[in-house]
Amino acid sequence: MREAIEPYVQFALKAMAREATYRFEVFTSIGSLAVRVYLLRVVWVALYARNAAPHGVPLHTIITYSAVALLMGLILDIDQTSLLHDKLHDGSIVVDFMKPISVPLYLFADGTGEVLFHAALIVPSLALALLIVHIDVPSAAVFGAFAVSFLLGYFVGFFLNFILNCVAFWTLEISAVQLIMTWVTDLLGGQIVPLLFFPAGLQQAIFALPFAAMFSTPLLIYIGEIPPERYAEVMGLQVFWIVALGLIATAIWRAGARRVVVQGG
Amino acid sequence: MREVYRQYWRINLLTTLEYRTNFLLWFSFTLVYHGTAIAALWVMLNNFPSMNGWDFRNMAFLYALWMTAHALDATFFSTIGEIPQWIRDGEFDRLLVRPLDELFQVISTPGAIFPDELLLALAFLVVAIAANHIAVTAGFVGLVALVVAGGALIDLSIALLISTVAFWFVQVDALRWIVLQLEQEFTRYPLSIYTKGVRLLLAFVIPFGFMNYFPASYFLHKADNGLGLPISVGLFTPAVGIAFFLIAYACWRFGLQRYQGVGH
Repeated sequence: MREAIEPYVQFALKAMAREATYRFEVFTSIGSLAVRVYLLRVVWVALYARNAAPHGVPLHTIITYSAVALLMGLILDIDQTSLLHDKLHDGSIVVDFMKPISVPLYLFADGTGEVLFHAALIVPSLALALLIVHIDVPSAAVFGAFAVSFLLGYFVGFFLNFILNCVAFWTLEISAVQLIMTWVTDLLGGQIVPLLFFPAGLQQAIFALPFAAMFSTPLLIYIGEIPPERYAEVMGLQVFWIVALGLIATAIWRAGARRVVVQGG
Repeated sequence: MREVYRQYWRINLLTTLEYRTNFLLWFSFTLVYHGTAIAALWVMLNNFPSMNGWDFRNMAFLYALWMTAHALDATFFSTIGEIPQWIRDGEFDRLLVRPLDELFQVISTPGAIFPDELLLALAFLVVAIAANHIAVTAGFVGLVALVVAGGALIDLSIALLISTVAFWFVQVDALRWIVLQLEQEFTRYPLSIYTKGVRLLLAFVIPFGFMNYFPASYFLHKADNGLGLPISVGLFTPAVGIAFFLIAYACWRFGLQRYQGVGH
């Protein structure tokens, strides 16, 4: 068992080391987070200044929501499987198919390493954010539920990205689609504005999409908008998305992998 | 020079026609980028009547002014942002030995440029003007055109200044990235919501406020513009654009004369 896992641990460690060499990216992602935290503060303060709190969400809650959403974005906005796209683009995927490894697991390990490195950035980013805004801290139980839901949201995001990158088996080029996906996820996932603020009719449709399972569900648990009685229901929906997207990803991967073999690289 | 520039646009259009799928992809990219930005503003303002006295229609006009000026710059001068990359690769040195102005050569380097974003921006500007019930007179159209041209000059000058820095410091991505973020996200909201230091920065140091906020305050007859300046300061945009471009161009010439290559 240990031997079976060992190569993938090494892949993950290698990915962490690779990410650490991009010092410029590290600097800008922390700097940009601080700028965004400042922006969210002035924007919500200005909106609340002359108006009543909508949906009973007070200013300090919305600031907490937005700041935590930005920190989550450090992880959820990463495309963990972009390696697949790169490898399809330059054809080096063929070499990986010849190795005695499971390629999807290799991609998962590489993505996990990348994400773990970026997760470490949360510490300095959070410290910087706390200089600018106050973030409410919920009870340990609620925070625990948030952590579980965040992890589930991470897997929803992983499969969405995986499916998207598999499209490159057919089209080879998906950069524009990737960027579109990030913005759509941020908006429809409730990262920019809480989904509670969307008009009622639209809200139902958006809550039914997998994007809400990435950002919105853990965030609404964090601010207490989703009470403990509903944890089973909302996390059940997250699990549903993981299973459904996982099945789609498997099917697309099989079809795509066969295609590469046919092409002969 | 005119012939070179004509050929440049011919190649751009032919390239776009050749790579139709790619064009459609990047067009949807543009559409979604501006679409999500405007949708986010709409959802926010759906729950609050206004932000510092600006309702959604006002903010749509604010966005449209910035978008049009930015798209105008991006359509004709986008290659200026690529100079740092060319300097790093040594590509730039080729331009120095040709008998044409270097900056002209930069802006006439073909890609797959098509004025799709500009057309989209103009359409949105028309919608935003109508939504705000602004009386469209010949004078207004002329002023908007001047403001947009001035805004594009500001946009262009900032890109040129950043690229000039690359003559000395080869790696300017971080600087460019931060300025870009300031521009894209901070121009979406009324300048008056920011703290004093940021307001001054956006008005006088990196004058993005002149691209949309000051002129929009003037056109929408707002009572104040966040810095206690007379409201007609919004009409200074073309002057600010020209002044800023002259400064940027002087810096560019200065950098160009001292440029020694990066050792290729």
